Amino acid sequence: MVRKGKSAWLLHDLTHRGPTAWLLTALLVAFYLLLYFTHFFTPVAHSLGLSSKWTLYGLLYTLAILAGGVHVLRKYRHNRYQVVRTSVVMFVQVVFAFSIPEILQFFHQPEYYFSYFWPLKFDDLNPSVVFHLPLFYALYSFLGALLLAPFLGVVFGKRWYCSWVCGCGGLANTAGDGLRHLTSKSSRAWKFEKISIHAVLAVSVLLTALLFVSYGLGSRAPALARFTYNFQTVYAFLVVATLSGVVGAGLYPLGGTRIWCRNFCPMAAVLGLVQKLGRFRITVKPNMCISCGLCSKYCEMGIDVRAYAQANQSFTRASCVGCGLCAEVCPRGVLRLENARSHAPQRASLVQIAPLASAASPSPGRPR
Amino acid sequence: MRYVIIGNGVAGVTAAFTLRARDAAAEILLLSGESDYFFSRTALMYAFMDRMSLRDLEPYERHVYAEQNIRLVRDWVTNLDASRRLLTLQSGSSLAYDRLLLATGSLGDAPDWPGLDHVREGAVHFVTLQDLQRAESLARTTREAVVVGGGLIGVELVECLVYHRQKVTFLVRAPWYWPGALAREEAEIVSEHIRRHGVDLRMDEEVAEVLAAPEGRVRAVRTKSGHEYSCQLLGIAIGVSPQIAWLRGVKTPPSLGRGIQVSSSFQTSLENVWATGDCAEFSANGQSLVEQIWYSARRQGELAALAMLGHQVRYDLPIFYNSAKFFEIEYTATGEISPSLPGAQTFFCRLPGREASVRITERAGSIIGVNMLGARWDHSIFERWIAEQRDMDYAISHLAEAQFDVEFGRVDLASVSGAYREWRARSAGTGSPS
Ligand SMILES: Cc1cc2nc3c(=O)[nH]c(=O)nc-3n(C[C@H](O)[C@H](O)[C@H](O)COP(=O)(O)OP(=O)(O)OC[C@H]3O[C@@H](n4cnc5c(N)ncnc54)[C@H](O)[C@@H]3O)c2cc1C
Ligand code: SF4
Repeated sequence: MVRKGKSAWLLHDLTHRGPTAWLLTALLVAFYLLLYFTHFFTPVAHSLGLSSKWTLYGLLYTLAILAGGVHVLRKYRHNRYQVVRTSVVMFVQVVFAFSIPEILQFFHQPEYYFSYFWPLKFDDLNPSVVFHLPLFYALYSFLGALLLAPFLGVVFGKRWYCSWVCGCGGLANTAGDGLRHLTSKSSRAWKFEKISIHAVLAVSVLLTALLFVSYGLGSRAPALARFTYNFQTVYAFLVVATLSGVVGAGLYPLGGTRIWCRNFCPMAAVLGLVQKLGRFRITVKPNMCISCGLCSKYCEMGIDVRAYAQANQSFTRASCVGCGLCAEVCPRGVLRLENARSHAPQRASLVQIAPLASAASPSPGRPR
Repeated sequence: MRYVIIGNGVAGVTAAFTLRARDAAAEILLLSGESDYFFSRTALMYAFMDRMSLRDLEPYERHVYAEQNIRLVRDWVTNLDASRRLLTLQSGSSLAYDRLLLATGSLGDAPDWPGLDHVREGAVHFVTLQDLQRAESLARTTREAVVVGGGLIGVELVECLVYHRQKVTFLVRAPWYWPGALAREEAEIVSEHIRRHGVDLRMDEEVAEVLAAPEGRVRAVRTKSGHEYSCQLLGIAIGVSPQIAWLRGVKTPPSLGRGIQVSSSFQTSLENVWATGDCAEFSANGQSLVEQIWYSARRQGELAALAMLGHQVRYDLPIFYNSAKFFEIEYTATGEISPSLPGAQTFFCRLPGREASVRITERAGSIIGVNMLGARWDHSIFERWIAEQRDMDYAISHLAEAQFDVEFGRVDLASVSGAYREWRARSAGTGSPS
């Protein structure tokens, strides 16, 4: 039941898809449309002494993460995992995603983002970009995407990136914290996610392959070059601008904070596949779950955590970003994030039925 | 074969799924008068506190029942005729069964406080969905609330009312909070915490009279100590009892005591009728036993289904465990946790710098109970230690194994071992540890 009072009503309305939420969505979508598809913000940026609209956007983004981060640090101050993780995500945003690229530019170095990797940062493995970077940055791009990220994914799970480092996750877990429960938990949403996220991954891998081939053939294959160029333009429009920007962040108040991360991010797809093979899992304390559903409700990735917890089933789900909020909200301390050796399944059974031997012994005949 | 289950709570639903898992062909009907779908009663408070919608309380997606081919019927059962294997429903229709499971759960106890019968509005329990609706509609017009009863449901209701910015007085009859499970020192941690949330927690207070305004709304509660607490909402949380009143008037009532009396294989006195969960009453070594927690209802639901399927089942009381949360303080209990156990010795210590404590009880060289506040522990490890009859030294030196705190957030156990060594030394000195 909603609390009494206007401010409580407003907060509820904003976080439960009320008119206020729709209004905010409209504003956010308009903001992203103007940002990606017009030059509206360029003079604004210049008048503030910033070099481009993207710097302005980066500044706003960073401020949102800092303000949201302070709120989240206070809200979960009793939970050391949340405190450490949130501090790291704020630090990474300020230092690696905002300051260092600016400083590099100041020293006439490439504007390089050490906290983003291919395929999320698509150009990192775009030959016509990466081969023109100084050696150090080029190596970092290749090794980061192909070795470092998957390796850390095996050891720590996807979370090392998606909820500790990445800016998209950073915004979701700080400024977006109050909207995390909006992600759909239905099994239909899960089916959609499995198709959509792997489709985007496949497209981005294909496009990268094409870029390499076309780069290698150069002027010998003008038709391929043109096709690849068009392909790249469409990808930038659809995936980068529309799905990660307008839809991913614009629809926060309606669809929750991880629309992009859950359904479309190719980096999340790669790390998800790695996670399934790796050591990360959520351990379920046996027979302690009261099926209250808080864990599912507050899962920003739409995982029906309760389905596993009430079946006493520890699990690893490809989509889990390891934010740890399920463990935080669980009133019975049922869940724990772990980098454990033993592997855990993906599917939850309905009930965990005790083996007959321990509970009952079969007898032919009817009872009594 | 048609199985009919009365009650779609955790016991009834677990039974239905278990039946289905072992008998693909059976016809399974699940009845409830309270709700269309199984919901988590344990999460009522989160609905009241706007953290969950009612739909969120449902542990299974709705299509699961169709997939499992379990037919849901929303109706109250009003009559049971075991000789004809026939139920009558409130809607007037009747329903035949081959095997019947009673999983009717509990209702909040109604006290006989003078004046309560004049109250037409403002007194609520906090057990059913209908209770929740009543509480919600009252909360709108309430500034001050009184909650009576120092158990777990009471403190949950208090937390809800605090969330709704009401001035809450919490009346507890015992000298300290929840003496059935908490020692005085533990109760102090919890009481202090509850008070810090702005609750006026009063111990040793027993209701003498309930006062109503002329139009029937509750106005105040007077206690035996002579205090009068004004309120527009009176939360009654003095306990729950099996929901069996309706069975007393049916054509063939099963044998009833505090609950529906069953054998250790869940059989009632009626042929082809079983009972399970909160409503079932067992007798173990001459003692009557009604378990009224989620975990037992779940386990019992599963076992009762096996019994109905013709398996030989014996329900032996497992090692007790439970958990709760008092506002932010989490609580885990395993084994015998009553603070006054004859012949037992108890080690207790507070963890420095937080609202947390450790209490381990030992009898004849083996630990029998573990009671933990404020940190997270895996009760199944304690269960194992108790079953293996480990001693206190073992428990203390292996405590880390049972820790279940979040990463980076583990409580520091050095202070526990330190306190334990001191306690040992002291008890060796006096010869009889306290
Ligand atoms: C507020 C609250 C918080 C709780 N928190 C915890 C907790 O944290 N941990 C814990 O272990 N336990 C907790 N419990 C106890 C736990 O919820 C119960 O033990 C458990 O729900 C019992 O399940 P059950 O299936 O036996 O009965 P119920 O869940 O009560 O289900 C019985 C169903 O049968 C229906 N029914 C009864 N008679 C009829 C009839 N004649 N016709 C049709 N339908 C009928 C009822 O309406 C009800 O829907 C809590 C209880 C409450 C009220
Ligand atoms: S929050 Fe905890 S108790 Fe509630 S459903 Fe999830 S695991 Fe179970």
